Amino acid sequence: MLLNGVRGVVGTRKTGKAEPPTTEERKQTMAVSLRESVQRVADPRNLDSSVEEVFRLMLGIECKRESASPPAEKESVTSVVGFGGLLSGACVFRCGATTAVKIAAHMTGMEFDAIDDTVKDGIGEICNMLAGAWKGKVPELSANCGLSVPAVITGRDYNLHVQSPEFQLHHVYRFESQLFEVTIVCDGLQ
Amino acid sequence: MSEIRALIVDDSSVMRKIVERALRQAGLDALVVHEAGTGAEGLELLKAKPVDLILSDINMPAMDGLEFLRQIRAQNLANGVPVVMITTESSEEHVKEAIQSGAQGYIRKPFTAEQVKERVLPLLKAA
Repeated sequence: MLLNGVRGVVGTRKTGKAEPPTTEERKQTMAVSLRESVQRVADPRNLDSSVEEVFRLMLGIECKRESASPPAEKESVTSVVGFGGLLSGACVFRCGATTAVKIAAHMTGMEFDAIDDTVKDGIGEICNMLAGAWKGKVPELSANCGLSVPAVITGRDYNLHVQSPEFQLHHVYRFESQLFEVTIVCDGLQ
Repeated sequence: MSEIRALIVDDSSVMRKIVERALRQAGLDALVVHEAGTGAEGLELLKAKPVDLILSDINMPAMDGLEFLRQIRAQNLANGVPVVMITTESSEEHVKEAIQSGAQGYIRKPFTAEQVKERVLPLLKAA
């Protein structure tokens, strides 16, 4: 039997007759199909199109991938949305204070002088939508991977470190003259 | 369209503002908005204020949007009022669960004002 491009075993259980798969077998087949589809899950184009879609629809601005690294800013904002289920890991959005303030202004139509609760809330929502859009590109993930509520960190001189991820995507994007980073960290595929 | 009283439930204040703006862009000029940051707040508001439309996020801390929806039905609140879920979760399973829990509409984030108009206005006209 071919399911999602993965050969599964049906019909050899106990009696040797052809039988429909049990729930457990279906779960295992789904898990195997996702593990063996890691290249599809880790396709960098999924992240690019998710970022472009979220920024176009929610902020009304075009956003493109960039090869340059964002300049170091005194203060930065990082939002993290966790993945759980078939894939465990996180979507991480990081930008400098100036970029965060501009994103929040585009989202709300308001002006901000500095990072406040509304700006943090806006960055958390952007990360939430990016995580949802990214997992929505892979049907198995869309249905079998949950999202945490966003956590937002602000401050200076901090780094995100993940030990031996299964895979990691780290892209930099530009809108107007602002740069930001989006990272997908997968530390487990069931 | 005459005055519409909408309840917007989302733990993000920014998202509540975006949804309100999208409703106004959809042509609901005479809009009175009640906002709730949690499902529990939403239930309390529904007990105190009549509304014509409910829009709710799903992925919220403490009480998620689906439980909020079940509680509306269990407590016999807002009978006949259309409920539209607005969420990042977009799989068929999530949509089915929302509809089974009593939602009449489903909008995936990110969304456009046009999508809000297409999903919400027919529900208001039918209500």
